Amino acid sequence: MKTLLIAALASVSMFAISSAQAVERGGTLTFARYDDSNLVDPVYADRNPDIWMVTNLYDTLLRTGADGKTILPGLASGYEVSADGKTIFITLRNGIRFSDGSAITPADVKFSLERATNPDFGPWSGLLGSVESITATDNGVTLAMKNPDPTIVSILATFNTAIVSRAAFEAAPGANDQEKATALFAPGTPVSGPFTLKDRTRGSTMTFSANPHYWRQGEDGKPLPYLDEVSFVVIPDDATRILKLQAGEVNGAEFVPFSRVAELKADPAINMELYPSTRIIYSPINSRETRADGSPNPMATKEARQALNYAINKDALIQLITHGTGKSMTSPLMSSTTQLAYNGGPLYPYDPARAKELASASGLEGAEVTFTTLAGSSDDATLFAAIQQMWSAIGVKVKVEQVDNPTRGAKNRSGEFDVHTFGWVNDVNDPAQVAGWLGYYPTRKAVGTGWNNAEFNSLFEASNTEIDPEKRSEQYRRMQDIYTDAAPLLFLYETPFAVALSASVNGYIQTPLGNNEFSSAWIAK
Amino acid sequence: MSSLSYLVSRLMQIIPTFLLVMVVIFLLVRMLPGDPAIAMADAKATEAQLELIRQKLGLNEPLVMQFLYFVKNTLSGDMGTSILLKAPVLEVIAERIPVTAFLTLYAVCLSILIAGPLAFVAALNKNGGLDIAIRTGFQIGLSTPVFYIGLLLLTFLAASLGLFPVGGYGATFLQRLHHLILPALTVALYTSAIIMRNLRSAVIEVLDADYVQFARSKGLSRSVILGRHVLRNAMISTVTLLGLSIGALMSGTLVTETVFAVPGLGRLMLEAIFARDYPLIQGLTLTFAVMVSLVFLFTDMVQAWLDPRLRLS
Repeated sequence: MKTLLIAALASVSMFAISSAQAVERGGTLTFARYDDSNLVDPVYADRNPDIWMVTNLYDTLLRTGADGKTILPGLASGYEVSADGKTIFITLRNGIRFSDGSAITPADVKFSLERATNPDFGPWSGLLGSVESITATDNGVTLAMKNPDPTIVSILATFNTAIVSRAAFEAAPGANDQEKATALFAPGTPVSGPFTLKDRTRGSTMTFSANPHYWRQGEDGKPLPYLDEVSFVVIPDDATRILKLQAGEVNGAEFVPFSRVAELKADPAINMELYPSTRIIYSPINSRETRADGSPNPMATKEARQALNYAINKDALIQLITHGTGKSMTSPLMSSTTQLAYNGGPLYPYDPARAKELASASGLEGAEVTFTTLAGSSDDATLFAAIQQMWSAIGVKVKVEQVDNPTRGAKNRSGEFDVHTFGWVNDVNDPAQVAGWLGYYPTRKAVGTGWNNAEFNSLFEASNTEIDPEKRSEQYRRMQDIYTDAAPLLFLYETPFAVALSASVNGYIQTPLGNNEFSSAWIAK
Repeated sequence: MSSLSYLVSRLMQIIPTFLLVMVVIFLLVRMLPGDPAIAMADAKATEAQLELIRQKLGLNEPLVMQFLYFVKNTLSGDMGTSILLKAPVLEVIAERIPVTAFLTLYAVCLSILIAGPLAFVAALNKNGGLDIAIRTGFQIGLSTPVFYIGLLLLTFLAASLGLFPVGGYGATFLQRLHHLILPALTVALYTSAIIMRNLRSAVIEVLDADYVQFARSKGLSRSVILGRHVLRNAMISTVTLLGLSIGALMSGTLVTETVFAVPGLGRLMLEAIFARDYPLIQGLTLTFAVMVSLVFLFTDMVQAWLDPRLRLS
């Protein structure tokens, strides 16, 4: 039996490096958000403003570290994986309690994980598709697997497997699970996370208060969180959110436009943070033999797609659009912060001569390509203008088609596009999600590009049951090589999460997966 | 015709308007490009998840059936569940109506307070320096985009001088007056420019009317002439304009509520459109239609009170 006890890691705090100062307790941190949370429930959270708040209210058995890659202990003090990878034994930490003081039991864990595996509940059940059954034991749960699953540890650190109170669900009003979950997104609900919901006005404000029974210890040896409360105000407009921070009415503002980063960095009262993220900006290229209208597709060959990539000056785009805050993609399948990302240097560095040569050889020269952008997006408008100029150098004419987000999504699914803008942030601390999205044909036709590579597909399938980390790493390395060569995307750039905080705020982080972590945040008086 | 029968006849006219609005909303929402199920689901959603949304919204039903369900449910007070907010549409709208109503009423009051006195000053100083200065000032207000005025007010009066909060709504009545003064002023500056121009012209016209000349010849004081004869008669056309402006003002809340982080119907409408939340868009459009119809009804009643000839006709 392979043992992967991680209790020894318990002393490692994900925030230990965040501050050398002595922490100060108490106070309310007011945080300006771009959007409100509509339903913070592990299973039904389906938008980022919901997903990124889940772990403040509900703890997971394991936790993802601040780097987005490491796995730390959570409500589970440890876990063991059987040699054949088909049984996972999870041991619960002693003395853990919900916010109402009741014990977090193996029955609660079984209930929570069974909710998470139920395909009728929410969109995330597929993440636990390999779980056959869940059995409660005296001090934890045992997962019987249909097949070995190398992602299972990461999934147990993912928001959708967070632990809820079975008793609260059973007592909640509602005819079905979703109605009960909706009813429980209310003050007074017992939760397992560092905060409880104190009050909420839909679309406007939400307040979290410290969970008095939370188990995790702070740097001062007392239970987290340090703050008494976190108060959220919803301010959709970027400029107003920043003004609110500058006026001292809030302590933090998320999603700062990159064009404002330099200005805010120069302000001594503000700490302008650029948190590493798993966010990548890319453009799917229709790679089918023919376009949707049946005409020959000039981008059907890899040489044509490589030419389009070589012709783009990514450094210029990074300056133009992200104002220097972004960086080139180095892995074709994922951000550099994702596990198993292979860093072979910037992908397709600007090489106009090579681009011209490939365009000529592939017959791309003289072709007209439609670039589909989001109407009203200044980033997309800048990207189009730059690409139009860059591609004209290799004899490719570009015309713009502006659509709204739903139309872009529909075009991606139907294949009625040449090239369009897109972005991605991982939800899971494992590359399988993004690799499945971008490259695996059966899931979504390789992000709608129609690119279908048998070797890639088979490697991806094999990697999903490969529990030898080295072999899996090799599989991912090969998948990344195949994908780079085939270039079904324009590999544009990675961007950070830009959050502006008052200088007095310490310990707050936004993880590479986007989670807003307030448990170790504190305010210097 | 008595006031009551006039009111009843006007209310009856609202019913066909309301039905027509329902047809238009239903068709317009479905004419938008793109699959609403894709719009509502995350980009990562599978085909099975998309199908579930389509079933939930009845999108697989024939269009006629969808419309009949829509009418039946709406008339029975069920506007469906918002996909975005995961809550009954009626409940969500009921939460937001007081916010937008407060903001609109506040803006109307400010518009009248700004435009009324200045229109009189301008009219009484026709083509003088004061008149030109007032008209030029309002012309600038009229030609400046609402969001830009909002940001200017926020930057200088709120962020720099700290006189008002940067956005938000407040909890008590007094807090709301304080929080909403800048968004109300932003909207009012635009509306008051329209009202001022109209009222000024009306006052100038009435000042030259025979009955005003007659009142002067009778030796009535200036304040009595202005208050009793000029104001009442000049207000008839202005009330109509004000009623029409309130309709425009409500649509203006889409921008104002977003810039000032006011959780009202306008901001909700914007969110619903971006999320292609059909039930919410339909519910909100109907709500706006009802609100505007009621404002027009109220305007008609005030006009009839000011000018009994309208009631008789």
